[in-house]
Amino acid sequence: MSAIPISVENLRAGYGGDDILNGITFDVRPGEVFTIIGPNGSGKSSLIKVLAGIVPVREGRISLFGRDVTHLKTAQRIAAGLAYVPQEFNVFRNMTVGENLRLATEFIGLRGGVAQSERDRVLGMFPDVAGRLGVQAGTLSGGQRQMLAFACALISAPDVLLLDEPSAGLSPRLAGEIFEAVQTVNAQGTTVILVEQNVAAALPVSDRVLVLVNGAVRRLAPATDLKARDDLAQLFLGEA
Amino acid sequence: MAQLLVNGLVTGLIVALPALALSLTFGILRFPNFAIGAMLTAAAYLAWVLNFYGGVPLVAAALFTVVLFPLVALACDAAVFRPLRDRGPITLLVASMGLSFVLENLCRLMFGNEARNFDMALTRPYRVMGVRINFEQILTAGVSIGAMVLVYVILIHSPLGRAMRAMSDNPTLAAARGIEATRVVSLTWLLAGALTAAAGILIGLDRAIDPQLGWNYIIVCFAAAVVGGLGSPVGAVVGAIGLGVIGELATLVVDPNYRAGVAFAAIALVLLFRPNGLFGRLEIRK
Ligand SMILES: Nc1ncnc2c1ncn2[C@@H]1O[C@H](COP(=O)(O)OP(=O)(O)OP(=O)(O)O)[C@@H](O)[C@H]1O
Ligand SMILES: [Mg+2]
Repeated sequence: MSAIPISVENLRAGYGGDDILNGITFDVRPGEVFTIIGPNGSGKSSLIKVLAGIVPVREGRISLFGRDVTHLKTAQRIAAGLAYVPQEFNVFRNMTVGENLRLATEFIGLRGGVAQSERDRVLGMFPDVAGRLGVQAGTLSGGQRQMLAFACALISAPDVLLLDEPSAGLSPRLAGEIFEAVQTVNAQGTTVILVEQNVAAALPVSDRVLVLVNGAVRRLAPATDLKARDDLAQLFLGEA
Repeated sequence: MAQLLVNGLVTGLIVALPALALSLTFGILRFPNFAIGAMLTAAAYLAWVLNFYGGVPLVAAALFTVVLFPLVALACDAAVFRPLRDRGPITLLVASMGLSFVLENLCRLMFGNEARNFDMALTRPYRVMGVRINFEQILTAGVSIGAMVLVYVILIHSPLGRAMRAMSDNPTLAAARGIEATRVVSLTWLLAGALTAAAGILIGLDRAIDPQLGWNYIIVCFAAAVVGGLGSPVGAVVGAIGLGVIGELATLVVDPNYRAGVAFAAIALVLLFRPNGLFGRLEIRK
């Protein structure tokens, strides 16, 4: 088994007649926080969805720890160690917090005591969520909802976690809590692929950053390199 | 008054079953299954065939039908709906109309247009505090309430029921979590088929069985599901019982021929104030 958690080669994908991602290639290193930034509509969510198996690959190859998963379904990728938290609508709103968590265990085939201890383990990380098990998920605040979605994704103890803008719309304090949770999970050995608009807040927790512009890799560099630059805007616009 | 209430309740309880079936399939498959009427007809005939030709006692025939008919529903899905799953609600609605036509005419072809009856003894109605209640009404109420409790328990307390609700709530997220959609869809058809079968038989007890049997229930079924909030199981049940009771009570003030009108006026009123129905919720659209 290769140690490379995610390897993407020459990836092309899109919707309908249009390609949104054109020839993307990168490797994610074991144990890193790999952050994808880029302007609105540049294809960040699409890229994450392709990795999660929601949007089909048109050309190229994706491998997970050396195993070709290009044509595997989402469920199979989850079984192989992947978890994905969508950008929006990432909890079942008409179900309670407790039911959301139960579903997360049931989707991956955990039952009974094992499922319960798995839920308890994850809830330990999110006290805010743990105290609201009987509440409808749709009535949670944005931050709590994001925590719940995060918690559900962690139920499978994934090796690779895909997070699509987990801090979107949150206050700086809540965003901080989210990034803290990202670091905690990462410290426990999970490789994280993070999409963020909030570049300033994301850089400190990131190891490397991929700048995606117009569905192509504009740049891939250590986060420390980007921190030193103040021309991010130019990078986005394509002049760098 | 009490008599009307009882009659209305029983009518509502019959309609509640197919309305619930309609609501379940709508929640998961996102199209209104127009064939619900023809499915009621087909189920009634299936029980009748077992009872009349097969010589199976009515109770056993009914039980067989409730077990067998869900498989028919599953077969209909495999033959008609599954190949069109990604084509959008209008295509599926039209397909369900086609299925409706086929099912109804299959019944007509095999058993003709004449009205059939189950082989059962007539019983005298009971009188309870001045209200006439016959055995079929008690049976109907019992079966219907039992079935609804069962569906409730499945939806709330079983993993597959939870998966159904999750898929109805947010199909995209369910897919992202790796839910096995095919299994959930199959379970939904099995449940809907069982509910439809039970209702078809109860209707057959109440009136004669003919190829048009289900037609009389399509509109009120849809009305109940819509007023309750399409896709909401509780809403469908409340809508059906409410419509049944209002329809009967309306005969106190208007000519019985217009009772449907009163019920529909009530629907219009509800939808005016709650466009998504009583228990409807805002759909997630992107
Ligand atoms: N389901 C879809 N069908 C068709 N086009 C889509 C679909 N989803 C996204 N797109 C298009 O693909 C392009 C990239 O969208 P995507 O959501 O991947 O961008 P993004 O970088 O995540 O943007 P944001 O920062 O706003 O989240 C956009 O032009 C968008 O309109
Ligand atoms: Mg996005």
